Amino acid sequence: MTCRLEISLKPDLFDAEGHGVRQKAKNYFGIELTGVRTVHVVTIDADLSTDQLKTIQSEIFTNPVTQISSYDPLAIEFDWTIWVGYRPGVRDNPGSTAVEAVEDILGIKFGPDEAVYTSKRYCLKGPALTAEDADNIAGELLANDIIQQWKIFSIDEWNPYEGIGVIIPRVILDHTPTVATIPVDSDSTLKRISDERGLALNPADIPTIRSYFLDAKVQAARASVGLSDPTDIELEYISQARSDHCNHNTFRGLFRYMDLATNETDVVDNLFKTCIEVPTLTLKEQKPWVVSVLWDNAGAGLFDNHHYYVITGETHNSPSNMEAYGGAITGIVGVYRDPLGTGKGSKLVMGSYGFCVGPRDYNGELKPRLHPRRLLDGVIEGVRDGGNKSGIPTTFGQVLFHHGYMGKCLVFVTALGIMPSLVNGEPAEQKKTSPGELVIMCGGRVGKDGIHGVTASSETFSEHTPAGHVQIGDPYTQKKMHDFLIEARDQGLIKFITDNGGGGLSSSVGESARFSNGCEIQLEKVPLKYEGLDQWEIWISESQERMTVAVNPAHLERFLELSGMHAVESTVIGQYTDSGKLHITYNGQTCAYIDIDLLTSGFPQWEFDAHWQTPENRGLFEPALNDPKDYEDLLKDLLSRPNICSKEWITRQYDHEVQGASVIKPLVGADRDVNSDAAVIRPVLDSQKGLAFAQALLPSYSVIDAYHMTSCTIDEAVRRLVAVGADLDHIGGVDNFCWPNIQFHPQNNPDGKFKAAQLVRSCRALREICLAYEIPLLSGKDSMYVDGHLPGRYGETHKVSALETLQFSTISVIPDIKKCVTMDSKMPGDLVYILGTTRNELGGSEYYEHFGYVGLNVPRVFPDEFAVLYRALGNAIDKELVASAHGIFRGGLGIHLAMVAMGGNLGMQVDLGLVPADQVDRNDVILFSESAGRFIVTIDPENREIFEKIFKGLACACVGNVTSGGDFTIKGIDNTTLIEVPVQDLKDAWKRPFGDLV
Amino acid sequence: MSNVHALILTGYGLNCDNETAYAFELAGAAASRVHINALINGDVSLKDSQIMVFGGGFGWGDDHGAGVIQAVRMKTNLGDKILEFIDAGNLVLGICNGFQTLVNLGLLPGLDHDYTTRSVALTFNDCGNFRDDWVLLKVNPAAPCVFTSGLDHLELPVRHGEGKFYADESTIGRLVNSNQVVVQYAMPDGSPALRRFPYNPNGSAHDIAGICDPSGRIFGLMPHPEAFNHYTNHPDWTRTKENIKRRGNTIDTGPTVGVRMFQNAVEYARRALT
Repeated sequence: MTCRLEISLKPDLFDAEGHGVRQKAKNYFGIELTGVRTVHVVTIDADLSTDQLKTIQSEIFTNPVTQISSYDPLAIEFDWTIWVGYRPGVRDNPGSTAVEAVEDILGIKFGPDEAVYTSKRYCLKGPALTAEDADNIAGELLANDIIQQWKIFSIDEWNPYEGIGVIIPRVILDHTPTVATIPVDSDSTLKRISDERGLALNPADIPTIRSYFLDAKVQAARASVGLSDPTDIELEYISQARSDHCNHNTFRGLFRYMDLATNETDVVDNLFKTCIEVPTLTLKEQKPWVVSVLWDNAGAGLFDNHHYYVITGETHNSPSNMEAYGGAITGIVGVYRDPLGTGKGSKLVMGSYGFCVGPRDYNGELKPRLHPRRLLDGVIEGVRDGGNKSGIPTTFGQVLFHHGYMGKCLVFVTALGIMPSLVNGEPAEQKKTSPGELVIMCGGRVGKDGIHGVTASSETFSEHTPAGHVQIGDPYTQKKMHDFLIEARDQGLIKFITDNGGGGLSSSVGESARFSNGCEIQLEKVPLKYEGLDQWEIWISESQERMTVAVNPAHLERFLELSGMHAVESTVIGQYTDSGKLHITYNGQTCAYIDIDLLTSGFPQWEFDAHWQTPENRGLFEPALNDPKDYEDLLKDLLSRPNICSKEWITRQYDHEVQGASVIKPLVGADRDVNSDAAVIRPVLDSQKGLAFAQALLPSYSVIDAYHMTSCTIDEAVRRLVAVGADLDHIGGVDNFCWPNIQFHPQNNPDGKFKAAQLVRSCRALREICLAYEIPLLSGKDSMYVDGHLPGRYGETHKVSALETLQFSTISVIPDIKKCVTMDSKMPGDLVYILGTTRNELGGSEYYEHFGYVGLNVPRVFPDEFAVLYRALGNAIDKELVASAHGIFRGGLGIHLAMVAMGGNLGMQVDLGLVPADQVDRNDVILFSESAGRFIVTIDPENREIFEKIFKGLACACVGNVTSGGDFTIKGIDNTTLIEVPVQDLKDAWKRPFGDLV
Repeated sequence: MSNVHALILTGYGLNCDNETAYAFELAGAAASRVHINALINGDVSLKDSQIMVFGGGFGWGDDHGAGVIQAVRMKTNLGDKILEFIDAGNLVLGICNGFQTLVNLGLLPGLDHDYTTRSVALTFNDCGNFRDDWVLLKVNPAAPCVFTSGLDHLELPVRHGEGKFYADESTIGRLVNSNQVVVQYAMPDGSPALRRFPYNPNGSAHDIAGICDPSGRIFGLMPHPEAFNHYTNHPDWTRTKENIKRRGNTIDTGPTVGVRMFQNAVEYARRALT
């Protein structure tokens, strides 16, 4: 029997969700609604008695204090009502927990075909509301057709007895799992079949694949298990493993770099090896704190003698671009499995986000799938639910608006974990599989999720086809699994652990079997969400919230017992062997039999032409711009720019202090509303040590030169740590590259060679700056196709490419958290110092952008000179001489002096003539140049002498003082007063753009 | 080893168990994190503890109302044992998701010694979103609450999307009259917030942030005392430190008000229950 329960807040209670819909309809589309009420719909597809239905209605689904409910449609007034539900196969988290609750309270078990589905009905009131408005609200605000379906009813067509009807989004595949054999008689046949099946085999790989399957010895071995030509599951396995996502073919490629101005050429064989691996391994030799790098799911560093921290960063761009909420929650929950799958397992302690999207107020003629505003709303909410429900604090984040991200948005997610240095007496960072150990899949079940990623988006939907390619992460299931696995680790039950992300079992089992040199998998044992998946689909499905674990058979019973206690599903799906083969069977029939070492042998390297044009040769120049007169309005307008202004509404949605470890929060200052330079946590609660973490993004500089973009980004991320008191001898880095396509194509990618040259230059800067600052790259990832094709006004499409973007994350250990410093000015009378030299470097600046210029003089990093200054500041902070310290970042000195003053809610007077500068004779250059390597520091006047002694011979000058009056006063180099404005006015300007958002 | 035992529930998406256990240890208890299923299957007995803590988190993802499914599971499988635990004079604390669970279990407000009926609710914040921010709480000195004894004002973080306290007016009147309203959101000067955002972060009726049962032994609150377990948790600590330094003093590194709340419970349990 199928029942549909409608639940709503009592009529006199404020409906916050409905109110939100009303606000957005007005703000986004100018649609005036007089009221919105939300109805939660629970559809129960199970055989329950009337009494049972009554019990679950009153005990689970209806709060007697706040809610009303009925198995008939609720009579709530509306002019239009919109029902929104998931498409079949989309993860319905509340539906699953409802089943748990119903089973628990009734003491029953649902059958395989029984389920609970949740959906919503919105009752809209608005006298002038049209069908078109309702359609707009449904499709552009409430639902995304990739994962959801909806129905719209006007009051006239509403049947108060039937309501929305009964909609059961059950997946029915009605398909017998079949293994297909694929002929390899010629390259062209295999290429054709690869295209037809969406295998995405690289044409250059096809001869290697064919020669393997045509090898007489291989054929003989295959014949012994009943196989001849390759099966679909085998080719899918090869395709996944050889993909750029898994294998980083671009970064491992061969680059023929040429500077077109000088005709100098340089052949770079493997950017990963030369710019990441070699420098990092060199630094590892010098830095005993580097514990584990370059092989595991995340890198590890020494926290204290008993703990290691682990860190990694990911992006989840393409899925978020299509379904912002689902993509982002899957991204954050997914990256949290990386530390969990590092070493023998790490407990998660922190996360961060970076969102790059189109302008929030975009009103041009390009039609992205999701408007940037909606996209941003979705990714914010996705990371919110993913992080908060995982019980992991989100302590740092950045948002950047730029037209280039209209083609594809960027969603960066970063995860930190901590592990004991020893587990059961063995090194926790090490792991391997051994023959005889069991292959266990833990966590969620397998469906058609994420198969072939976005290629599936072009398929048409039917009523019961699963919407597989976009997923919705399930932090609840994963949190249970996390707690279980950490306990299993501590009991010494885990020999090897890795996550199921891209490539699913194909990747996790394939990679883990390399340690033992083989495995046998019984694919029919893999628990499925629904029947009818082909074998290859089970093997490569990217269904979330799963880990693959190797367990000694002697520990199996204890492992499964613990798993059961934590209400986590764990299933033995095979065993590791030393046969040298990946051997997969399904009900006893072999469907894959491949040499484990196939993937490490003989595949061709990707190749790229990289042609560099200097900025001058590309026609960039410094604009003819005279010194402005009205600095007050200029400063306020710059503070209101979207990439500078306050985004407190996002920060406060994220739980940044769960786990009770918060030391430096994302928002600091007297009013707790100004962004801190870095986050600091105390991940081991009874230790005085801290972990400091920061990130930087400066893609605007790529318009001039990605080399300097990269060096400035790294420098900013380092300075952020130095400003809170981190130890410069211990800074680990994580590089996340997001680049537009670099493969030249005369029509589709005419500037591919230039973008390839930008990548080479960026990697060179990465190597040079990291070596100079002694930053090993603990982890890193690349996402190489940040382009989109957007329809325009006339039916044409435009390729929109992102700026060449690097997010750089830094991490350090704080020896004593009690010495940490925040960026807000503390006391009237304190002295204001500028550290570092201001140069004429407005190229790519926020100031130039404000006027529509790019410029030429992009900021440069002089790491040897800077590092001396950073150490001096570290020394001053360690001696507790510093009241506040803040890096001078995007927007320059003017913006960041204002930040320090706004943080303290105190006045400040500064004389620009005293600012250490190199050949700068203009006030606007001093105020808005974005020269790297600089800080603003305030100190107690009592400490003046000893502070200045530390900086003797360095670029350091006292430029003014903190005042009690509340005015922000800037004197120009000609001794005139340029700015005299209440700090509160600056704060108002800085908060105005997004101040109404919650 | 302390003779006062605090049992902190874990599992099913709960997530503040580690720091809650740590804060209870700081307060002098022996704290253990116990999976809900370990209590249900009898591996662990409530009888060995004097303090039971329903901590923060997202039990069952908070689907179908925060704390609802946790309450269903606890009531179905452990209802009698929890009532026995209370009858024996022990202490129960619910923090955030735990408070939501206590009101859904009916353990709070416990009017007329009825510990099974839902009569108050914690529903969606008026601001429409999850919010993390520090709030100032005014403690009702007349409340019988064991946990807040001797405390006047507290600053603690809130981190929730469903913390708006709601009940009908007569119920709220009874809670006020019986001094079961323990902590209320306040303005920076200590005056009542009068539902002004963000001082009252969720629109709670009567600025209610936490209530106790008539005995004062069952206490639930939305803010997180366990997240203020060290002075560096406080958002102003770098400012306070500088201020105190200038006056030639050093910052107070003694127990935070969060830990003092737990100390009250441990001291009560030591006196009354062991």
